[in-house]
Amino acid sequence: MLITDDSAPFQEAYRQLLAGTDQPDWLRSQRQAGMERFTDLGFPTRRQEAWRFTDLEQLTAQPRLPSLDGAPPLPADLLEPWRLAGKTHRLVLVNGRFDPALSAIGTLPDGVWLAPLAETVLRRPDVAAMAFGADGNAFAFLNAALFTDGAVLVLAPGTVLELPVEVIHYSAGDTQVSAHPRLRVMLGDGARATLVETAAGDGNGWTNAVIDVTLGADAALTHVHVQGEGADAAHTSLLTAELGRRARYRTFAFITGASLSRRDMQVTLSGPGAVFTLHGAYLLDGGQEATLAVRADHKVCDCRTEEVVKGVLQGAAHGVFLGTVAVRPGADGTDARQLNRNLLLSPSARVDTKPELEIFADDVKCSHGATVGSLDEAALFYLQARGIDPVTARSMLVAAFAAEVIDAAGLEGEVEVLLRRHLARWLGGEGGLG
Amino acid sequence: MSDVTIAERPAAGPDDILDSIVQAEGYKYGFFTEIEAEEAPPGLNEDIVRFISAKKGEPAWLLEWRLRAFRRWQTMDPPDWAKLNIAPIDYQAASYYSAPKSLKDAPKSLDEVDPELLKTYEKLGIPLGERAALAGVAVDAVFDSVSVATTYKDKLGELGIIFCSFGEAVREHPDLVRRYLGSVVPVADNFFAALNSAVFSDGSFVYVPPGVRCPMELSTYFRINAAKTGQFERTLLIADKGAYVSYLEGCTAPQRDENQLHAAVVELIALEDAEIKYATVQNWYPGDAEGRGGIYNFVTKRGACRGHRAKISWAQVETGSAITWKYPSCLLEGDHSVGAFYSVAITNNRQQADTGTKMIHIGRNTSSTVISKGISAGRGQNTYRGQVKVLSAADGARNYTQCDSLLIGKSCGAHTVPYIDVRHPGAKVEHEATTSKISDEQMFYCQQRGLTAEDALSLIVNGFCKEVLNELPMEFAVEAQKLLAVSLEGSVG
Repeated sequence: MLITDDSAPFQEAYRQLLAGTDQPDWLRSQRQAGMERFTDLGFPTRRQEAWRFTDLEQLTAQPRLPSLDGAPPLPADLLEPWRLAGKTHRLVLVNGRFDPALSAIGTLPDGVWLAPLAETVLRRPDVAAMAFGADGNAFAFLNAALFTDGAVLVLAPGTVLELPVEVIHYSAGDTQVSAHPRLRVMLGDGARATLVETAAGDGNGWTNAVIDVTLGADAALTHVHVQGEGADAAHTSLLTAELGRRARYRTFAFITGASLSRRDMQVTLSGPGAVFTLHGAYLLDGGQEATLAVRADHKVCDCRTEEVVKGVLQGAAHGVFLGTVAVRPGADGTDARQLNRNLLLSPSARVDTKPELEIFADDVKCSHGATVGSLDEAALFYLQARGIDPVTARSMLVAAFAAEVIDAAGLEGEVEVLLRRHLARWLGGEGGLG
Repeated sequence: MSDVTIAERPAAGPDDILDSIVQAEGYKYGFFTEIEAEEAPPGLNEDIVRFISAKKGEPAWLLEWRLRAFRRWQTMDPPDWAKLNIAPIDYQAASYYSAPKSLKDAPKSLDEVDPELLKTYEKLGIPLGERAALAGVAVDAVFDSVSVATTYKDKLGELGIIFCSFGEAVREHPDLVRRYLGSVVPVADNFFAALNSAVFSDGSFVYVPPGVRCPMELSTYFRINAAKTGQFERTLLIADKGAYVSYLEGCTAPQRDENQLHAAVVELIALEDAEIKYATVQNWYPGDAEGRGGIYNFVTKRGACRGHRAKISWAQVETGSAITWKYPSCLLEGDHSVGAFYSVAITNNRQQADTGTKMIHIGRNTSSTVISKGISAGRGQNTYRGQVKVLSAADGARNYTQCDSLLIGKSCGAHTVPYIDVRHPGAKVEHEATTSKISDEQMFYCQQRGLTAEDALSLIVNGFCKEVLNELPMEFAVEAQKLLAVSLEGSVG
């Protein structure tokens, strides 16, 4: 009965959204399937093991429904802090809809498709259809039913995209609405690209994103996720990635926004020799809660996973790291490392970390580590003994702690500059170390 | 509600209740003679709980307590979060009370003992004759050496230490039992603890008075073996202010038991400055190589450091049982209290183990250490599941956790599921885990020096477990080393 209560307003919104629109049959049935699965599942509850630390009260108490109208035009400089410097292929969505004025896709080399999802549905339905997988969680099914737009990036085998691709989703206004952007990335064998996927905003909406990544043999993708939603916003996203033979998937998750956020990453290593690396940081303050839930599924032999995630928690913030490395029978030669380190800076801050190993093969090297602590008193004393005031000493140590994970990620160029800029902004601004 | 229930049956003695059961069952189980009446018919309902309590001559408050547990149990579901594959258990098919079997049934001499069992004793290096007199071990009832037990009992009595069966404690020391029973593991703590609270058969009770250091290791395994009260065992151990006690449970020798389901509850209470060391060696029948038979070992063990500077340490070697579900935990309530958990768990053939600990930091400057070594061989599945929780008042809490897994063979599984929940910035919590297999180089090196494959494996495994074995009392440690080798027989070569 609870399920009906949860999904009823969304079913109504679904009907309104589709009323009078011209949808191809295949898409209509995809949306229908998504709505049915969401209705079946309802919102996850804390009684489910994977959701026991995530408080969805905010989302379920008052449903945030998709808006039926487009957003008002935004001033271009609003996006300035979120943009990469230099030349990029930029695609901007505002409240779930493509914004041609803020976007600058530019000239694409041969063998590259980068376009909004809605446009792809019209021009290349065969490509767009690949943006809908059968699997997911309740939020992903809701996204399939209610998405208004998104982005599709496809690289033909052997293509190298030199300029980074930026996909920015911006939630604007005091609207209490939800947006359900959908992002599909496919790299053919040997293709290479860099993607910066940003979710930002100034409102109190809810962004519910789905990102599907497929990497062919020897393909390489660097994928940076920046989540800087508004202080009263909610953010959920499900990322699934499938890695082919010797594919390299390098990701970075930088999470500072939203009062409630959760990013699920499900990475399947299905080709021998595939490599998945995740570096990440959640920097939270006030009453923020953020969950990063990562599952690396080693299906075949000789794959590698490396995860380093750091958390800085101030105020009454609550950080959650759920990491699972699964090694299937026969996935010998697996090398997997997980590290989650947390800095608790206030008496009301809280951390839950659960680095999990699930191993069904014997010739493997797997390790994980987790630490929770506060700033090192000796280090603070050392700095103060050298004439640095306590406040500065404190912020130096926090900055060093967080910057370490950016160093370790080994990103290059403007992408690294962008992350350092975001970190500096958090440390100096709402991070409130003063 | 509960008062009403009592009033309905003002003078229900064992026989009245028995009569009603017999009538309800239509004489199916034939309660005609005195002797057969010692067994309750299969099934579980309030009458059975009343019957057990009446048979044991328990006071009304304890019956009420059992009934409260039973009513809660009926509303609960078995836990399904563990990585265990448990065939559905028919709780109505089991019999929940059988009086202790008489000594007549015990083997009179070694000739009557299963030769396979004797072979294992030999491998473990414990000649049957000597086991009864493990140096310095006091046991509360030994079937063939009653005098030894009496001697130790007198010695403990002089110091004011109470060490007796649970039933005896209920009769002789009701105030102590009533004060502490269920104070660490509440009746409805979990499905199996609730079941135990409703139908527990017997168990051990220990009370060490203030300032007394128990001069010997306390042990119970003889009694369990002889009287077969092990199915729903209840242990309550209290160390009063400044007291010290070390307690051994179980036995390295394989224990056979026809009861497939074991749901024990152990409660430890350490008051100010007290220290409790609790060591377990569990080697219940694991089933055959195909996983048929074998004991289900679903145990709730928890200790509370109630006073400042109290210490509780759990050490366990888990090699037996088809399924182990067990999380010995510490509630660190007093300031500066210390909890520790040292564990070796081995699963071979088709055994499954989901075991670990909970360390709940409540008081200031509390510290805890967790060292867990899991070994999987054959088709065994071994899970470490542990929680470290630091509450918001636990200033200066400190935890160090290390859990290592060793894999032997292609078809086994090793899983690690740690939960770390910290709500205080002054806490320092560290968790490390590794999973690896025994390398061919290690095996080659040992074999090249003339060791057989099995000896090499035993050597490597013992080295892997050393940190835990060191925490066992001396005589246990020696046997445990041999036990590891016996448990892994047939997993190499």
